Amino acid sequence: MDQYIRICDVEKYYGNGSNITKAVDRVSFNVDKGEFVGVMGASGSGKTTLLNMLSTIDRVTAGHIFYGDTDITELSEDGLSKFRKENLGFVFQDYNLLDTLTIEENIVLAMTIHKKGRQEIKEKCDAVMKLLGIEEIAGKFPYQVSGGQKQRCACARALINQPRLLLADEPTGALDSRSAQTLLETFVRMNQELEATIFMVTHDAFSASYCSRILFLKDGKIFHELIRGDKTRRIFLNEILDVLSLTGGEPSDVR
Amino acid sequence: MLGKLAVRNVKRSARDYLVYVITMTFVAALMFAFNSIIFSPDIRERVDAVGIMAALVGLATFFVVIIVTWLINYMVRFMLEKRSREFGTYLLLGMRKKEISRLYMRENVLMGTGAFFAGLVFGILLQQILMAVLYSMIQLDYELHLEFNRWCILMTAGCFWGCYFLALFRCKGRFKKMNICDLMHAGNKNEEIRESHEKGKRWLLFLAVIFLFLFGLWLFFGGLLGGWNGGTIIGFIVGLVLTIYLFYTGLSASIICYIREKKEGIYKGQNLFLLRQLSSKIKTMRFTMGTITALFMLAFLGCTVAMMFGDYQNKILKEKFPFDVQVYSADVEDDFKKELEVIKDEAKVKYIYPYHIYTDGTAQVNSWLYTHLREFGTMYLKKDGKPDDKALAARDDGCYCEYDTYMKLSDYNHLREMLGYEKISLKEDGYAIHIKKRVLKETGDFSGQLKILGKKGELVFSGYHTEAFSQDGHNGGDYVIVVPDEACDLAPYYAELAVDIEGEAPGGLARHLDELDKENGSAYMDWSGDKEGEEEDSDTLQGPNNSCCGSDTIVSYAAVNLVRDNVIPEVKYILSSIVFPCFYIGLVFVCIALTVLSVQQLSDSAKYRFRYGVLKKIGLSKREISDVVKRQLIAYYLCPALFAAVIAGIISVFISRKFIFYTGIETHIFQYFGISFLLFFGIYILYFVTTYVEFKRNIENEM
Repeated sequence: MDQYIRICDVEKYYGNGSNITKAVDRVSFNVDKGEFVGVMGASGSGKTTLLNMLSTIDRVTAGHIFYGDTDITELSEDGLSKFRKENLGFVFQDYNLLDTLTIEENIVLAMTIHKKGRQEIKEKCDAVMKLLGIEEIAGKFPYQVSGGQKQRCACARALINQPRLLLADEPTGALDSRSAQTLLETFVRMNQELEATIFMVTHDAFSASYCSRILFLKDGKIFHELIRGDKTRRIFLNEILDVLSLTGGEPSDVR
Repeated sequence: MLGKLAVRNVKRSARDYLVYVITMTFVAALMFAFNSIIFSPDIRERVDAVGIMAALVGLATFFVVIIVTWLINYMVRFMLEKRSREFGTYLLLGMRKKEISRLYMRENVLMGTGAFFAGLVFGILLQQILMAVLYSMIQLDYELHLEFNRWCILMTAGCFWGCYFLALFRCKGRFKKMNICDLMHAGNKNEEIRESHEKGKRWLLFLAVIFLFLFGLWLFFGGLLGGWNGGTIIGFIVGLVLTIYLFYTGLSASIICYIREKKEGIYKGQNLFLLRQLSSKIKTMRFTMGTITALFMLAFLGCTVAMMFGDYQNKILKEKFPFDVQVYSADVEDDFKKELEVIKDEAKVKYIYPYHIYTDGTAQVNSWLYTHLREFGTMYLKKDGKPDDKALAARDDGCYCEYDTYMKLSDYNHLREMLGYEKISLKEDGYAIHIKKRVLKETGDFSGQLKILGKKGELVFSGYHTEAFSQDGHNGGDYVIVVPDEACDLAPYYAELAVDIEGEAPGGLARHLDELDKENGSAYMDWSGDKEGEEEDSDTLQGPNNSCCGSDTIVSYAAVNLVRDNVIPEVKYILSSIVFPCFYIGLVFVCIALTVLSVQQLSDSAKYRFRYGVLKKIGLSKREISDVVKRQLIAYYLCPALFAAVIAGIISVFISRKFIFYTGIETHIFQYFGISFLLFFGIYILYFVTTYVEFKRNIENEM
């Protein structure tokens, strides 16, 4: 289904009067169902702001964001909460797990909020933990497991309610390279096996190379787009690095 | 520069820990107001028993100082922990530990100074309220005026800064142990929830409940569980302390087990989140929660005791002293000439009635009461439950005279008339008993056990009378047997004078009458039953041991010269010496416990902000989050309050029952605790609402 999500002329300004910062400047693009889209850009390019608007955490200054036929920029506060609950899943750099809950409970919580039945919660939770390889640490608390495991838990929590869109903000930012690779492979599996639509913000070329399409942001605007197509990940990675070198990307962005 | 930094930090801390600053201000105000009662020159001049109040307020201050020190110490450690990153930065910038320590001390002292002076201002207002209440109790007019007694301010400052000194005493040591790396990363530490042996620990909750049940049983049916000996009392107190502290370990373990067992409840709404929040908070704070519970419990008890004596002041005192003036004399020949001169000198006399209390030389009623009233326990009983004659003969408690006390019908009716009661009539061979309502309630009808002999044989019982009749040693102790004037062979036992005066009696009348007795020497009775300055020689008296004070316990006031308008304020002041310090302790303890609860929640709001932020991201609406916040705070606040209310409730109902029983006051046993409970929750709701509003603002600001 085309035009699963449409972002039309979205703008986000901060400040007022003569002191205005354009964090996102008339950005438009579409995301198709089952796509794994990455957004890259240097610090301050507006990628997190864009993600925040897509995720309903922040409001647009101008423009529209359509999820199917629903324009989320028109929704009320309560409407946004409901929309978020029913359509979105989140994975953040710092995991955002509740430290008072075990790994399993963190996942269960997302379902109890949806008022699902006990049996359904149990079955789905077991299945997703198995899929992401975290069933053995189900009873442990976040502080007792590795960063990679925490991030997979965050993925499981984001996926459990089969959201329309999974939003990931620098998901590998706090992980070592091995954990990052495992996580990204998990993303690919989620994308391919569960047909999850993923929107990932990253400044890491290696992470971006797992995406099917990459948008490059600079000063709040999209200045380039790369589509992986049938290319191998290595070739795609080289293309990304080329774009980054053109834009003066920092060597630290390349792992 | 450091001074500037300290001032800026104080401003910030005062904002962050506003509840703490307000509580310290309130504590300073309470200290000042209560101390001013001790030092008030007006009161010192007008009330004799000022020493009792001073001693009891002093005792209360001692406990208040200990708890305030604990609060300051707790807060100093708490703020230190919360500001560790800031102190780490100071160290990074090259400040020496000594300087940081000095800076932190200076901040605390500055904050304390602010609270102290604000407290003094607020204290003046409180002082006016307290004084007005006290003056109205002791029946004096109070005109609002500022009272700045040097000693009062000095004592308040001493207590307040004493607390600070004690609390900050060991603070320097903490700075010595500081390490930059630990300080910088302290804030990033996640809450580490260590769960081990939770299944075993949850039994502690069960044990705590069982213990409380046994504790209640022991209190109410002491005899069933081995009685009230020192061992069981210490055992139960230790048990109670352990219960209070271990309850929370058991409670958090039970919640954790409930979650682990994946019971139906955790899948409903936000229960899982709330239960985990609560269990982890209780687990990490269990010791503090225990202390808070203990403080709440003591506050409840303090308030209950204050209520009891306050109620006694209002209900019983007027009944205790029905005559305007009453004078006792052990000498049956006493014509009260000197006393009457003094009374007539100082007041306008309406009616004078001198009379005698008689005896028949037997002690059947006394013995019966000694062996049947619960107040005396088994003191005068043999092991087989029969009266112990030896013990009865050797008694020296002064409750009852050596022999039974009688009154002639004509005297009795005269006195009834003075008090506005209806006269009674007795048949020639009849007798009546005038007895305290409380005693009759306990004994029931015991006339069948008595054999009152008249000249013509045994007299027939005609009834009990229980109106207020001054039976604490004047018209008998607890009881007097009323017989027709010529029915029995009676000998005068002691002399009494009852006087009705117009208007109120002048302030010093009782004192002038007492001075008269001291001059006479022989007429003055020590109310323990011995004549002052005279060897005990029972045969030389008209009636040996012819003085008594009745069996009242808890509050008992017996005097040779009773001037109602003098004695009621005096007794009220003495009772206030209990009421005021109890309220003082209760108020301070409640505020301190609530401050700790409140500060704990508010300063953790950064952590909570993150947690609620996560909830928001996974789809909870603002309204739902507000609801979760409310439920979380209510659960956290109610937990120690309700637990303390249960323990204090058991103890309060028990002591209320005893108090009502021993004083004869007509009040429901739940009344004192009920009012304390309402008062407590009044203050509680204030703190709760403040915390809730502040908490919501904190988490909404950044979410």
